[in-house]
Amino acid sequence: MRPRTVKMWRDLVAARGRVALMILAIAVAMSGVGALLIARTVIVREAAAVYAGTNPASATLEVQGGVDAALLAQVRTRPGVTDAAARQTVLTRVRVGDQWRRMLLFVIAPDDPMRVAKLRLESGAWPPADGELLIERTAGPVLDAAAGDRLAVAGPSGATTEVRVSGTVYDAALAPAGQESTGYGYLTPAGLARLGFTASADELRIVTSERDEASVEATATAVAAWLTAQGRQVHLIQAPPYQHPHHSQSETITGMFLAFAVAALVLAGVLVAATLGGMLAAQTRQIGIMKTVGATTGQLLRVHLGAVAVIAASATVLAVGPALLAGYGLSGLVAEMLNVEIGSRALPWWVPASYLAAGLAIPLLVALVPLVRAARITVRAALDDHGAGTEVGGRRTDRWLTRLRGGRLSTLALRNLMRRRGRLALTLALLAAGGAMFTSGLNSSAAWRSWVDDGMARRAYDAQLRLASSAPVDTITGAATAVDGVVAAEPFVSLVATPATADGRIEVQRTYPDDGHGRFLLAALPVPTRMVDFEVTAGRWLQAGDTDGVVLNQSAVSRLGDPRVGDDVHLAVDGVVGRWRLVGTIAEAGGPATAYASPQSVSRFVEPGTANMLHIITDGDPGVVAGELEAALNSMGVLVGESMLTEDLRTAIDEHVAIFIGTLLALATLMAAVGVLGLAATMSITVTQRTREYGVMQAIGARPAIIRRMVVLEGTLTGLLGSLVAIVLGVPLSVLVGELLGTISFGLPLPLRLAPGGLVAWLLLSVAAAAAATLVAARRAARLTVRETLSYQ
Amino acid sequence: MVQVRGVAKAYPVPGGEFPALSGVDVAVDAGEFTAVVGRSGSGKTTLLNLLAGIDRPTAGEIWVAGTAVHEVPETRLAAWRGRAVGLVFQFFQLLPTLTVAENVMLPMDFCGTVPARRRRPLALELLDRVGIAEHADKVPAGLSGGQQQRAAIARALANDPPVILADEPTGNLDSATAGAILTLFRELAHAGKAVVMVTHERDLSGYVDRQVTLVDGRVAEDVAVSR
Repeated sequence: MRPRTVKMWRDLVAARGRVALMILAIAVAMSGVGALLIARTVIVREAAAVYAGTNPASATLEVQGGVDAALLAQVRTRPGVTDAAARQTVLTRVRVGDQWRRMLLFVIAPDDPMRVAKLRLESGAWPPADGELLIERTAGPVLDAAAGDRLAVAGPSGATTEVRVSGTVYDAALAPAGQESTGYGYLTPAGLARLGFTASADELRIVTSERDEASVEATATAVAAWLTAQGRQVHLIQAPPYQHPHHSQSETITGMFLAFAVAALVLAGVLVAATLGGMLAAQTRQIGIMKTVGATTGQLLRVHLGAVAVIAASATVLAVGPALLAGYGLSGLVAEMLNVEIGSRALPWWVPASYLAAGLAIPLLVALVPLVRAARITVRAALDDHGAGTEVGGRRTDRWLTRLRGGRLSTLALRNLMRRRGRLALTLALLAAGGAMFTSGLNSSAAWRSWVDDGMARRAYDAQLRLASSAPVDTITGAATAVDGVVAAEPFVSLVATPATADGRIEVQRTYPDDGHGRFLLAALPVPTRMVDFEVTAGRWLQAGDTDGVVLNQSAVSRLGDPRVGDDVHLAVDGVVGRWRLVGTIAEAGGPATAYASPQSVSRFVEPGTANMLHIITDGDPGVVAGELEAALNSMGVLVGESMLTEDLRTAIDEHVAIFIGTLLALATLMAAVGVLGLAATMSITVTQRTREYGVMQAIGARPAIIRRMVVLEGTLTGLLGSLVAIVLGVPLSVLVGELLGTISFGLPLPLRLAPGGLVAWLLLSVAAAAAATLVAARRAARLTVRETLSYQ
Repeated sequence: MVQVRGVAKAYPVPGGEFPALSGVDVAVDAGEFTAVVGRSGSGKTTLLNLLAGIDRPTAGEIWVAGTAVHEVPETRLAAWRGRAVGLVFQFFQLLPTLTVAENVMLPMDFCGTVPARRRRPLALELLDRVGIAEHADKVPAGLSGGQQQRAAIARALANDPPVILADEPTGNLDSATAGAILTLFRELAHAGKAVVMVTHERDLSGYVDRQVTLVDGRVAEDVAVSR
């Protein structure tokens, strides 16, 4: 082996403690990078593959009167249509114990070739018998049922019919049932009729030859026009994006987390740069000697870069195991969240290639600056380096420091701290960056929870009941107020709406077949209302007399192309287009895109004085009270289609974000670990470089204990300073992360919330880590004899 | 082999410039052992640094082994130095993590003058020449001062440079060891090297061929020394 290589190896072995710290820091960061890279790659690919594998409908046209076999055959021959199916979806409820659960019934004819929106049979047989249904595999816990069990499914009259669960299917196009608090059932038209519903395959699902949004819209609109020409009325066109309902959120959030992990890697690279810079500073004379015997700057740089490469490569290899473990673990969790079955865990070639490239290139690039600086030192400067501390000079801060009076130790520690400002700046930057990311992770998590808490607190109602059909407001209110435990009740109107244009053209809806994701509602609440108190983000809330005023939540604003207060807004209900004037916008946690309008303004769509929804405030168990109210309404002939407790909505929101919050916190911890390791490494270098000075101090009478205390005090001051900078820097970073996470999750930036526990934890952690890191080095320095320290090179 | 013509070197100091050397002319032939003596601050080490290309003259010319050192670009100085000049220091300056043999092999490695498989045999040969072959595989800390200085001399000879420059090579050694080192330099000079040694030692008779005395940055005396 070449002597220069031998030297590099032995230097690394001699500094094995610090080398271990550097390897650990990079390995920790690379575990995160690898895990996110693997998870993102697997999830994005598998979600796309699984969703595409169902051959989802490009568009669904709601055709009045249903679609028969002859019409379906004709549709299949329309230009741009490659296949079509006629289906029906019914929203009902199922009795689970003493509670009602939301239930979506997907109705498929026995002779349906099942080429569109395919299901995979997991157990049982298709088609189920008339008194049977199949359930989606994730619906078991929601329905508290398994194959062989019986479900009490509500019919249109509210009466329940027992249906046997004959098996399970896997429907990859749906979000998990638990997340949506909805059971999914699959049955035949005869099975539906047995429940009392009218079987009518009114959903024409078409698959288009081109899957891009414009082509799908054009084909769907053309088919709708053709159907209209055939005398069939098309109420609605739904064309959801050609991807899983949660695909874009997952992709963006895992992408952001990957960016976080790469930032941690850059941080680890800075740590390596700082540590190696310090090690090389201690070897300045050796560099000078090597140059006198013929070493060029390029040769020395290559040797140093070789050392970084060895460290980075060791860490990258070391992190492979944890990265695979965490990556596949995370992809499994996210897959579960998306109801995606991972078919292949194989990684494309570019994943290991990117992993290796990141693990080697980022530390090398970050370390390049201090390494070039060390290698470029002139022989003269290198040979003149005696390691003596002559850094304190005529700068203004130096003069201020020398005037500073205080305890002997604290003054000395403070002055020492300010001696090598470059090193101090690097240490602080390292600690501050790690801390800022740690605190911003905790702050964002706190903001996330606070946003949901606040959003829930702004809903005064404890339960929301959807009626099977509209009923007089007085009847509903009378029934509600007669029930024990109902403190207040407000009937209102909620209609499925479609964005439209000024010229009356109804836009294609982006709603998924589960009728939840991508839904747009028009809600007419009483004005004023005591049931909600949404945060107004622009303009104002509805006022009495707002006959054409509308308030949009953030999702509705986005869906309608970001209109401003004062603009006209056009919405269609059942094919009838209405115009409203936008008077305000609100922030709403949870719930679909909704336009809030006054009851008068929807009178053209529903009979005045009627309502199809009800909000109630209770002073008892909301579930029990809602049940009693439902029984009361039923006894008056007002059937309840669905009852949803506010606490269930909260659970649904939490279920959507739980994994991401957990990942964010894990990444925050990873950042903190890298920051603390960086502090330990740089403090250890600082102490080592002052070894000679400690010898001088011991020679003039300082006891080892005093030196130890002084060094630890200096480390503690660094930790304190670093954590304060981190806390300050964490604020804008939290705003940035909150903006991204909030926009992805709720369509609005998260508010800035500081997590006091996190800030205190970081303060204590960094100060304790600084003290511990310096204590180890200080003990070592204090144990050396005066002769050893003075001869230290 | 070494030509110093009208060389001056001034260092900037607060309030002006400090002239370390002024109008220095020195010539050293191959096979000649020359001592540069003078008090502290007389400019001895500055002169040696200029010869080694560690520093640049403010004025004048420096030729070493046929190269105009004052004109060699900074980027090529290290490679030139490794081949043309062997440097020996007062505090030996061996790399502590390399064995003695590896220290000697280091210049061969950096300059690529000797094929890899020939380096260790050559290093052992050089260590044998300076009398410490048996210590080849020890680290410098395991050697006495005199042995370390011999190892440093062997390292200086690694690329077979025509010129050996030594800065106070005996300053850290006892008198007996110092005598042995001076003898070694004399032998090297007589083997054809041009040896220039900066030293505080006064009594160099019996070792050096010439003695150049510097006083306040000027050559006060340049005399041949009789043995």
